[in-house]
Amino acid sequence: MPADPHSRRPAVGEGPVTRLALIGLAILFLAAFLALPLAAVFSQALAKGVGAFLTGLADPDAMSAIRLTLTIAAIAVPLNLVFGVAASWAIAKFNFRGKSLLLALIDLPFSVSPVISGLVYVLLFGLHGTFGPWLRDHGVQIIFAVPGVVMATVFVTFPFVARELIPLMQEQGVEDEEAAIVLGASGWQTFRLVTLPNIRWGLLYGVLLCNARAMGEFGAVSVVSGHIRGKTNTMPLHVEILYNEYNFVAAFAVASLLALLALVTLAAKAALEWRFADQIAAAKR
Amino acid sequence: MAIEIRNVEKTFGAFTALGGVSLDVRSGELLALLGPSGSGKTTLLRIIAGLDHADAGEVSFDGQDTRDRAARDRKVGFVFQHYALFRHMTVFDNVAFGLRVKKKAERPAEMDIRRRVDQLLTMVQLSHLASRYPSQLSGGQRQRVALARALAIEPKVLLLDEPFGALDAKVRKDLRKWLRHLHDDMHITSIFVTHDQEEALELADRVVVMNHGRIIQVGTPAEVYDHPADSFVFDFLGGVSRLNGVIEQGVVRLDGKAVRVDGAVGADGPAVIYIRPHQVELGVAPAGGVPEGKWSARVSSLHAAGPVARLELDLAGRALEAQLSRDRLSDLALEVGSWCTVDFRHARVFPAKS
Repeated sequence: MPADPHSRRPAVGEGPVTRLALIGLAILFLAAFLALPLAAVFSQALAKGVGAFLTGLADPDAMSAIRLTLTIAAIAVPLNLVFGVAASWAIAKFNFRGKSLLLALIDLPFSVSPVISGLVYVLLFGLHGTFGPWLRDHGVQIIFAVPGVVMATVFVTFPFVARELIPLMQEQGVEDEEAAIVLGASGWQTFRLVTLPNIRWGLLYGVLLCNARAMGEFGAVSVVSGHIRGKTNTMPLHVEILYNEYNFVAAFAVASLLALLALVTLAAKAALEWRFADQIAAAKR
Repeated sequence: MAIEIRNVEKTFGAFTALGGVSLDVRSGELLALLGPSGSGKTTLLRIIAGLDHADAGEVSFDGQDTRDRAARDRKVGFVFQHYALFRHMTVFDNVAFGLRVKKKAERPAEMDIRRRVDQLLTMVQLSHLASRYPSQLSGGQRQRVALARALAIEPKVLLLDEPFGALDAKVRKDLRKWLRHLHDDMHITSIFVTHDQEEALELADRVVVMNHGRIIQVGTPAEVYDHPADSFVFDFLGGVSRLNGVIEQGVVRLDGKAVRVDGAVGADGPAVIYIRPHQVELGVAPAGGVPEGKWSARVSSLHAAGPVARLELDLAGRALEAQLSRDRLSDLALEVGSWCTVDFRHARVFPAKS
């Protein structure tokens, strides 16, 4: 009697029980630690109806926090983009002294606590810091002001683009660039026409991750911001303030917006991956 | 374009890639750089292209020193071992690249670029694939795109790094023949790097044999094959049997018995007898002992597929390969286990390396 092809075990791999157990475990874990909290954020935000939700967002302080968060992302992400491409280009395509030191430095923001990242700037630019008196004399305020928040965010998000690109560029090697140069391309043409298209997907992921972190950073920003409502409060900081004031609906309204931004980022990434699947596959070959 | 290479040296850290190499490449010839990996052949090719700097020595194109000419200004066509096609561009755009990146004053009009690229794609027989991406092509097709792309800028010299290394045997043979025809049509000075002696001997006008960063021998395929400069070249060109012997008072001896060799013999000392399978002369073993100067051997295996027969002989415990025509084989009536005589007249003798 011929066996039913669907009931047969795959030639290589686990039996159906093991497979189901593994898949079930993964889904259970995701539900408990990701989906449930996310759902809680949105249900809390809408607990007292859409009206209360919108009131919470329309609050001038909340609006200011949203504006500041977007501004910071708009500054930090392009800076990161330029630095990330430059650093990974240098590391992947050239050999030079201190290369491993540069690699270690790029990882530094990942390895130190964000609080310390913030404190470093306070120590440097705060009133009693190294450059504090000079800055005060010239009427420049960095700590407890927007520049400090931007600097702390840039510091924390430094590794994202570079970390995404370095392995990619190292794997691709320099043959494509050499081919372009032998064909008569200038350095800029080589970068624009060959290198950049080769890394564009990695670059996009790096930028998306960097953006998510820039908008969501709490620790480092908290240290340097001073929590001045309507001035130096970013969205994550504003959420905390509202929460500490037992203003749960407003807190979760802002939080849900932040979560929504993250979800949009993920959706954009998924959509791009789906739209350009063939190109991504080609780039990896 | 003629290329003169004078005393070029290059080291990578402690490794000497090139230890003083001089070579004249004649205008319009197809030259093979042949050697094992690490012999410096690719480094030499990259220095000619301007992709690496020589530590010392000079490379000149038609008498002009190239030291101050960057790779992008050398007008060199380079075909990379793994093709280095731009994966995000179509075949057409890959070939057009060199024309499109030219400075505005030198750049042809888009229409002329189109015509030129179409021409090149026709030449490499890929017009029907112009809108494909490299990942959609086979290895042989990629190779031809890489070649068309290199030729688009009308280079004065064409450099190919292991051009057939990544292809399977059948495609390799076809492409080799095709490249030879292409070169005969265009007469562009071409240098290719290979570690495959058969490829070098079959394709090139002249072969440069390299080892350990030095040039060992330069000559036509017939010259290097028939008159290897030393034991390395003999070995590297392949298909050779080696027998360890000794030279005593100008006579080569194997197990104390003299071996008659036509060529000159070196100084006394341990020596190696080199003989290629087709140079081994076989004869019918006479009833009354082996004649003077000849040896007797027993056939240990026999492959007789195709026009030639390959024999493995047992010569007093040593393995020796022989090759002869099927006709000659039936004349001698040899089969596994039968005895024959061996003549070493065409063997070469080199001192053994200590």
